[in-house]
Amino acid sequence: MPAHPLQRVCYVEDDEDIRKIVRMSLERIGKLTVEVVGDPLLAIEAIKAFKPELVMLDWMMPGMDGPTLYRKMREVPEVCDLPVVFITAKASEKELNELRALGAAGTISKPFSPKDLPQQLRAIWEGLP
Amino acid sequence: MSSPSAANEAPAPAPQDAARAEDARQRSDPQRVLADRVEQLYSQMPLGIVFTLVIGAIATYELWDNRTRELVLFWWGLVLLVTAARTALWLGYRKSEDRVGQAKQWLRWLGISALANGANWGFAGAVFFPSHTDEQQVFLAFLLAGIASAGIPTYAASWPMFAMYAAAVVLPFAYVLANFGNPLFVEIAVLVPLFYLANVGIAYRLNQVFHSGYRLRHAYGRLTEDYTTLNKRLERQLVELEEAKRQVEASGRKLALFTERAPIAVLELDSQGRIQRINHAAENLFGWPSNEVAEKNPSVKILIRPEYHEEFDTQWRELMASRVPLAHLRVRNPRRDGLEVVCEWNVTPLVNPEGEVVGVIAQGQDITRQMEADQLKKEFTSTLSHELRTPLTSIIGSLQLINSGVLGDVEKDIAELTGVAERNGQRLLDLINDILDIEKIESGKLAMVPEVLALDELVNESLVLNRGFAERFQVRFQVSGNLLPVKVSADRKRLVQIMTNLLSNAAKFSPQGEAVEVEMEDLGERVRVSVLDRGPGIPDSFRSRIFGRFAQADSSATRQKGGTGLGLAICKRLIELMDGRIGFNNRDQGGTAFFFELPKHAAP
Repeated sequence: MPAHPLQRVCYVEDDEDIRKIVRMSLERIGKLTVEVVGDPLLAIEAIKAFKPELVMLDWMMPGMDGPTLYRKMREVPEVCDLPVVFITAKASEKELNELRALGAAGTISKPFSPKDLPQQLRAIWEGLP
Repeated sequence: MSSPSAANEAPAPAPQDAARAEDARQRSDPQRVLADRVEQLYSQMPLGIVFTLVIGAIATYELWDNRTRELVLFWWGLVLLVTAARTALWLGYRKSEDRVGQAKQWLRWLGISALANGANWGFAGAVFFPSHTDEQQVFLAFLLAGIASAGIPTYAASWPMFAMYAAAVVLPFAYVLANFGNPLFVEIAVLVPLFYLANVGIAYRLNQVFHSGYRLRHAYGRLTEDYTTLNKRLERQLVELEEAKRQVEASGRKLALFTERAPIAVLELDSQGRIQRINHAAENLFGWPSNEVAEKNPSVKILIRPEYHEEFDTQWRELMASRVPLAHLRVRNPRRDGLEVVCEWNVTPLVNPEGEVVGVIAQGQDITRQMEADQLKKEFTSTLSHELRTPLTSIIGSLQLINSGVLGDVEKDIAELTGVAERNGQRLLDLINDILDIEKIESGKLAMVPEVLALDELVNESLVLNRGFAERFQVRFQVSGNLLPVKVSADRKRLVQIMTNLLSNAAKFSPQGEAVEVEMEDLGERVRVSVLDRGPGIPDSFRSRIFGRFAQADSSATRQKGGTGLGLAICKRLIELMDGRIGFNNRDQGGTAFFFELPKHAAP
């Protein structure tokens, strides 16, 4: 369990409305500092600049999907150690197992409840080594 | 000099003949041979009886004089008596029903009668010879010689019988001759036994001839019988063979018809992979005319894309070696016009009794459209999954944020409407999730993740998780009796889903303020969990449909209380995937008891 509570979160998501809701949920309910990114191709630069403690990735995005972005992150020294949580609508066992095999810190299935989202995220954070 | 092998073969027929003769001998049944001899002996009797009476009458007349009148009469009486007895014996034999089984008995009686007959003549010779004139003595001597000789053909079938009979005729006479006091008569008396022995010898030889004759006759009869049986059997087999041939021909015609009219493509290939014949469906599907194929026998590779020819050659070699039929091979087949169809093939090598592959039958079904439909369904499911859920996430999320109050207070009327919008958004989401579940279950894509879990703990967990339903519908969830510490092997997430379904249904349909009870029962090898409500019960008309899709007893309830009508259908399929079953009963005091049963986990 990390030494301090979760503070800074970055979310990569192509859907603008969901970005808004997540930001509102995490800021208003979760009292977190949030950065959202709409274009996965710009994500790594944005993460480097924002320096979050945890990254949330959408699974299906145009241009580059979540797992691909995750692999790219692994190759960049500044961001390669960041814990990653996938937000996915494809919740089949097989795909969740694939994500875990990739080294994901956790998964949150879509649709999620904005009321519960900060709590879900904190639970994953507290479960980290 | 012949070769060694010929030398070895040459003697072979001789033992074979001997064996055949031995076989024939064994085929003659000794009892039947005996019966035949007895039959032969008895068949001579009537002639013998007549002969005895005629000769007896002549003798009585010749020997008649006043001195010995009583004695001659006595003798004649004896002749009549013995003859009557013989006649009776003959009649008895004729009427007998078991001449074969009792042959020995009849032979014995005949022996006694022969002895009595012979003794009669012997009596005549011994008693009348001394007392009568010379002429009469000559007559008697001739008579006895004739009588004795006549016995040979009569008793030829049994030489001991002849020996007995002739001895009775001539030996008393020989004794009288020897003691007559005339040297000539003594010489004759010595000669009589010699003649007797010669006659017995002849009778013996005749007897042997008769005996082997009968035996051969029987053996032949047996062989004929066997032959007839064999012939009959052959005839029957021939009839059966013809019938079988007719059936084979009929099924051949049927098969040809099936092949020709079958909606699937059928190709007949030789062991080299050349097409020998194709049916109508294949002609239509691939565009190659059947008569052209039958003439030119092109390789089956005309139906395979060139880049796969090498792979095909390998597979074909494996098929020829293993001879194991291949099923459900999906292949993209080019048509003559260059377009492609996707076919599912069943390939069956035809192997003759010698183990050689004589041909291959390939049956192909055009699944192009089915593949397209499958693809479409996959795309549709994926669309439901992503494209519908993403906007719903935004809608429900926004409403939840407004309704949670973190954005500040909302006017009462607006709050009511955003509440309506959120609930209905949730309903739409539930429906999508349920449809996806059903689709996954029915396409076999839903993988169970079974684990050994404590069922009582899972029931408690579900009660806590679903407290929201109880609050919303103002009912109480309570445990009736004790929860049993039973372990089952089940998918935790799916079992919670089933419990949630049963609990939420019970909550929805219970009157406000009532209790929804949960109980566990031990059924031996299975365990049952029941959820009991005090609702309106299940109408009879609905009982059979309750586990069907989109099943709701009262469609107005859907609008009031939510629910998709898919919940129980999903529960039923899920519990069956866990080897369990689901059901319900009406409760005595009103309400319904829904239950599911699972096999207990056997501790290893």
